Amino acid sequence: MNANEKNIPLTTEAVRHVAKLSRLALTDAEIEQTKEDLSSIFMHIDRLKQIDTAGVAPLDHPSELLNRDRDDGVGETLSQQQVLKNAPAVKGVYIDVPKVLGGES
Amino acid sequence: MTSTIESIQNGESTVSNVVNAAFASIETETFNAFHESWIHESQTDIEGPLKGATIAVKDNIVTTTGTTTCGSKMLDGYQSPFDATVVERLIASGATLVGKTNCDEFAMGSSTEHCAWGVVRNPWDMERVPGGSSGGSAAAVAAGLCHAALGSDTGGSIRQPAAFCGIVGYKPTYGVVSRYGLVAFASSLDQIGVFTRSVKDAALVAEIIAGFDLKDATSVDEPSPNLTSGLEKSVASIKIGVPRGILTDRNDAEVNEAIQNAIRVYEALGATIVEIDLPLTDVGISTYYVIAPAEASSNLARYDGIRYGHRTKKKNLNLFDLYAHSRAEGFGDEVKRRIMLGTYVLSSGYYDAYYNNALKIRRLICEEYDTAFSQCDVILGPTTPTPAFKIGAKSDPVSMYLCDMYTANTNIAGICGISIPCGFANDSGKPLPIGLHLQGPAFADATLLQVANAFETATDFHHHHPEQVS
Repeated sequence: MNANEKNIPLTTEAVRHVAKLSRLALTDAEIEQTKEDLSSIFMHIDRLKQIDTAGVAPLDHPSELLNRDRDDGVGETLSQQQVLKNAPAVKGVYIDVPKVLGGES
Repeated sequence: MTSTIESIQNGESTVSNVVNAAFASIETETFNAFHESWIHESQTDIEGPLKGATIAVKDNIVTTTGTTTCGSKMLDGYQSPFDATVVERLIASGATLVGKTNCDEFAMGSSTEHCAWGVVRNPWDMERVPGGSSGGSAAAVAAGLCHAALGSDTGGSIRQPAAFCGIVGYKPTYGVVSRYGLVAFASSLDQIGVFTRSVKDAALVAEIIAGFDLKDATSVDEPSPNLTSGLEKSVASIKIGVPRGILTDRNDAEVNEAIQNAIRVYEALGATIVEIDLPLTDVGISTYYVIAPAEASSNLARYDGIRYGHRTKKKNLNLFDLYAHSRAEGFGDEVKRRIMLGTYVLSSGYYDAYYNNALKIRRLICEEYDTAFSQCDVILGPTTPTPAFKIGAKSDPVSMYLCDMYTANTNIAGICGISIPCGFANDSGKPLPIGLHLQGPAFADATLLQVANAFETATDFHHHHPEQVS
């Protein structure tokens, strides 16, 4: 079986779709490069299909910790000034963002 | 580090002398190890167990002083409003933090070539990488710029650079060190750990940063473990597992030779060597490169140009395009590649075949370790298949990913691991360090460090430093 047969058929359209889901604006050249890179990565990842996982439960976390609670009280908190310090655009006490509602977004 | 702390305690030296000397050498360093160096705003002159120690912090761990950029244009100039728990604990212990070290962007890389602030160089050979993603921290300690440095390890990002730079790199059991303030890459894999020049120093620093933290929901509810008092114990009753087939021609011959020599050292110390089976080592990287990018794609969704981080200067964009351009401009190629990979394996139609399947293999990897640890106390092998490679040598992503082939399963299973120097490769003309990788069961960190310490005491590889070789 040659390497190409194992290749997942990643199409340009699929890569564009994933870029959209990822909220990444890629140029056409970047889309093509990503397609090549991901194709070669998937050739490697596809080896996982050879492992027999029938009847095995997925494990998403090594420590199998249970969620912890604490009392719903106010503890340390950030000041407005601290929060706004790193904002790209500030208007008064607000973070300035483009209009989202009332029209095409 | 220990000897400096002692000389402060008996008045032979002062903290300010030590710190000034550190800043002087950081000022003139040529490895690009440091992104910034400073005195932390809450640094005080207190009596503590680490008084006199100079410690650098990887730039994906937040500090209120200076900036935290994670090696990325996305966070250029970002000033964290809080300190990571590990930062607070180190300052409270009397240590002096000396600045932030360069890393692969958002901890994604195995060479520190993907840092927005430039490549970091290996102090043993300036044409070679220090490893990654914690390359700056590793280079800083290897070059003697500071006593210790914090790093983070998601698939090998402390242990691999420690091997390439000839120093100790320790990744504690998942949950032992708080991740509060560690910028998240893959939340179920990330751990903060330490780089030092000796196992004892690593144990000392780790004891300070470890222990339960209410602010980290994945922090294990145990106090900091005692890692130092049993360090000198003999390994005569220890069983060391060597995975069948770990020393093949996948590794450089000199790496295999160094590991075989290490096995003989342990035999001479009275340890029992046991052959074990870890066949899933072969698929560790594939499993890792499904799980880690999937988690990363989720964790990096917060960088949207809205509340902090880079926002595109392009005007009149709708919200979607604001996100898409801010992210495309702020992230480097490797980060974008991994986000795309992660999004893909989580997307509808592929989730079961890739992500869910990888989680099943994750369980199998854990079970394989459980079986192995029923036969041995500690697992031994090479940290990396080769010593440090030349800058630019691994432009193909997959060949770069394979650098972590021996370290990724440690994170997948959440167990503890350490790399210690065990030899040098001389084939290239300059001596290049080789790392010995030891892994222990979850929460057996004290035993892991004891076994590492025994090797170090019986050998002198850790006494070799790059400044002696030029």
